[in-house]
Amino acid sequence: MASSTILLPGETVPHSQLPESKKGTLTLGPNLRHLPQAPPASISILPTSSGLLQSDAKKIALWLDTPHARYAPSVGDLVVAQVHHSSTETYHVMLTPQTPYALLGQLAFEGANKKTRPKLEAGDSVYARVKAAGRGEDVEIECVSPNSGKADGMGPLKGGTVFNVSPAFARRLMMGPGKGGFVVLEELGEKLKFEVAVGRNGRVWVESGSVRATVAVGRLLVGCDEGGWGVEEQRREVRRAVREV
Amino acid sequence: MPSEPAPSTNESTFLLSALRENIRLDGRALDAYRPISLTFGSEYGTADVRLGKTRVLAKIACEVTTPYPDRKFDGIFTINTELSPLGSPAFEVGRQDTTELLLSRVLEKTIRRSGALDTESLCIVAGQKCFHLKATLHVLDHDGNLVDASCLALVAALLHFRRQDIEVKGEDVTIFDVREREPIRLTIQHRPFCVSFSYYHNGEVMVQDATLLEEQCRQGEVVVSMNRFGEVAQIAKYGGAPVDGLSVLSCTTAALERVKGFDRMVTEALKADEARRDEGGLMAELSAENERPTGSMLVGSEN
Repeated sequence: MASSTILLPGETVPHSQLPESKKGTLTLGPNLRHLPQAPPASISILPTSSGLLQSDAKKIALWLDTPHARYAPSVGDLVVAQVHHSSTETYHVMLTPQTPYALLGQLAFEGANKKTRPKLEAGDSVYARVKAAGRGEDVEIECVSPNSGKADGMGPLKGGTVFNVSPAFARRLMMGPGKGGFVVLEELGEKLKFEVAVGRNGRVWVESGSVRATVAVGRLLVGCDEGGWGVEEQRREVRRAVREV
Repeated sequence: MPSEPAPSTNESTFLLSALRENIRLDGRALDAYRPISLTFGSEYGTADVRLGKTRVLAKIACEVTTPYPDRKFDGIFTINTELSPLGSPAFEVGRQDTTELLLSRVLEKTIRRSGALDTESLCIVAGQKCFHLKATLHVLDHDGNLVDASCLALVAALLHFRRQDIEVKGEDVTIFDVREREPIRLTIQHRPFCVSFSYYHNGEVMVQDATLLEEQCRQGEVVVSMNRFGEVAQIAKYGGAPVDGLSVLSCTTAALERVKGFDRMVTEALKADEARRDEGGLMAELSAENERPTGSMLVGSEN
């Protein structure tokens, strides 16, 4: 997972770093841009930000990891958003502080129509998917899956609390068991009962019925992010936290 | 106008219910501080205080000016707080918001008006020349409890600062460069520190060293400033909800313990810094040559 290739904007991605593949197309992730008009012999993938180059040979994907950068929304990301105010047809929600508000349609919920739509107040949190994010347009989010029309776990978040982590940690946490190098949630899940919603914008919602357990889960996540714990350390910290709860 | 975004309803209600059970989100006890570190810069009069994620840098500068006509025998001491966007995007350059106003007011009351610094020792020639001591506080990172961190940084910087040596012969004043004569410490009469308490649930829960989130959810705060002998410089209560008189008393008791800890920490940090500067024991030689009783700055040593 770890990569030692640091790229700065204006440099080019070296040939050796491209994932080898016979078939399929290369997928470019965040902070990389393809220049189609470049001559074919030269490498036409440019970093748009500074960070660590990451690649996935299985998915034939290439992206640039910027661990401390502010979250930039891209389509398909799951985020924990906070309602700021509402207008006639949309909620104006906050993904990250001090940035323009994203829009959440009042009917963009599972089975919502004019009569059954959920009523959200300022300060409420929702788990949502980024629907549109582009240059010069408003970021739009929705709480319903576009394919199935189902909520798929998205929607208003009731109770619990939200912890702030770095966007890079949130992304790795969402990769699933073991893949991002984090086993905290899996280890904890064996011992405690809790609900968690990881937002790519660096906000993690945790709810577990008891205050003590929620705080324990949140502190482990924040500690893991800030301390950069390895797998063994994570297991040890989880055992200690569970004993204290 | 940028402002600190309000915490979500989930966060604020959870925080309040957790405090009911005496639990804090970072696992601290209600009266515990985040880890504190105090470091001094290579120059005299710079102190850097980190309190968890909060970071404040204090810098002291000194220049010669004319004293105020109504205070002929006093030097000038001013405290300037700089809350720039560096510390938090909610701070704006050139605009003074309530955070800054309250911070500078508390510091003013704690350090300036309590007479922590003997301003008379900054006088060079009465009514004509005096030192103007400027303390500037830069908030480098804001995660709550700026008052305690700033006060600690300021007191530490004042104790660390050395001003240029002077010699007065009649009306003639010579100011010696630091390379000519070893600079002189300020005359600090006592060391006051601020300890702030945030209260919740109508004063039933009192919390020390609140983080930014805890500050946003609190009903009000009580700031107690005192020195290690328990002499109270000021008590300020901000926020609407009433506080029981007895709990203010318990605040002062708790503050005394905390202030003693601060005082010890500053003393140790100063000692460590002095040891670091005293390479090969040369410092003792320098200071022996210049040694004079403090408070006799008006009298030239060679007269």
